[in-house]
Amino acid sequence: MNKEELIKKWFDNNLSLEEQKAFEQLDNSSDLIKLNNALHSFKASEYSINSEYSHLKSELDSVKIKTNRWFYTVLKIAAVLALLLSAYYYTTTLDTEIQTKIAEQTIISLPDASEVNLNVNSFLAFNEHKWEKARVVNLKGEAFFKVAKGKKFDVVTKHGKVTVLGTQFNIIQRNDFFEVTCFEGLVAVTHSENRIELSPGNSFRWIDGEMIANDKVLATQPSWLRGESSYNNVNLKHILSELENYYKIKINAENIDTSRLFTGSFTHKNLDLALKSVTIPLNLSYSKTGAIVVLKRE
Amino acid sequence: MKQPLQDHICEERLFESIFKKHSKNLHNFLYYKFGEHLNPKDKVQEAFIKLWQNCSKVSPDKAKSFLFTTANNLMLNAVAHQNVVLKYEKRPQKTATIESPEFLLEEKEYHEKLQKALSNLTDAQRVAFLMNRVEGKRFKEIAELLNISTKAVEKRIYGALKKLREDIKGI
Repeated sequence: MNKEELIKKWFDNNLSLEEQKAFEQLDNSSDLIKLNNALHSFKASEYSINSEYSHLKSELDSVKIKTNRWFYTVLKIAAVLALLLSAYYYTTTLDTEIQTKIAEQTIISLPDASEVNLNVNSFLAFNEHKWEKARVVNLKGEAFFKVAKGKKFDVVTKHGKVTVLGTQFNIIQRNDFFEVTCFEGLVAVTHSENRIELSPGNSFRWIDGEMIANDKVLATQPSWLRGESSYNNVNLKHILSELENYYKIKINAENIDTSRLFTGSFTHKNLDLALKSVTIPLNLSYSKTGAIVVLKRE
Repeated sequence: MKQPLQDHICEERLFESIFKKHSKNLHNFLYYKFGEHLNPKDKVQEAFIKLWQNCSKVSPDKAKSFLFTTANNLMLNAVAHQNVVLKYEKRPQKTATIESPEFLLEEKEYHEKLQKALSNLTDAQRVAFLMNRVEGKRFKEIAELLNISTKAVEKRIYGALKKLREDIKGI
């Protein structure tokens, strides 16, 4: 065995007894042995595994183990995602709702070019998200629609469904009063399984369960858009409740016959003038105390 | 290939066996690398506490490298690297029962030179060299401990020897 191999084996602490002797015979081994002996004084300080462990063990009891393993993290991420997703789903599928107060009118632009004039004390709801699939609005109260040309457009009310393809029409749905007036195009009204088609200038009216096909209407828009309401042979009961929609008043009509028919109009801007317009033609008089109006016979 | 029986080491008996297997080597590694004044024993304790805290995330076969990396980082945090001075202890020399004053002086000088020379080695050289010479570990054992090849261990040891020889004439 040559010298270098011996030294290497010595370094690897892998000498047999014979080799050890041979190594000690080498001419420069004494230097290495001297170094080796000297190095032993640099030995690491004593380390007692058992006493160190008992020392460690006393500390481990107060140590909290971190248990956030990977699936807890995944779970957290999943929870956040689910929350975001449901929030997104909830907000996008939510209907857009518009409610007008007494004496308040508003114009609503629908997701296409269609426009709705919503009259006083009325409610309109539609879903922007599903608009592409179906043009459907829900209506309570009165509104005038200008519908952009396109697919079927449905207005759903408590008393029936109005279907059009692109036109202008007015709908009134209040209590037991339902009226659809067509101003342009063609309007189909589905009401308790009856289907009626209205051509321009025609209107359909349903009062207290009685259907009335109306006279021709000459105007191109409903009069209420101009700050005035016009009626043709409408029950006084309905006129009075309409007055309560346009003005913040309470009408007491206990002593008069409200089934009488009224033909005429009243303004939305002046209460006294409006009350006179309704009462004088019917030979009635009224007295006003605060927001209470009492109607009497002359 | 041996499959690990468990994927974590939160079980106390297993943890204890890991401590018994690695704590001394870890201590010596820290001692030779950083010297004594940075309390290698405390760092060993800290590293094992960290291992216990993360026991659910560390598999048994990863425990050793976790410990060495953690302890090494703890040391590095404790010090902006200073020169390592290893303490040497006066030990009775078996060959010198009756020593002349000249011999004693020479001996003292030699130790001081050696101490200085050791602190001039690189960390890697010093750790490998002292584990080999002082702890009597074989190349293969050191290689496993430091996660390097036996060739690299040899290279470090011979490199250390060469440098020591240059620093101390007469080795």
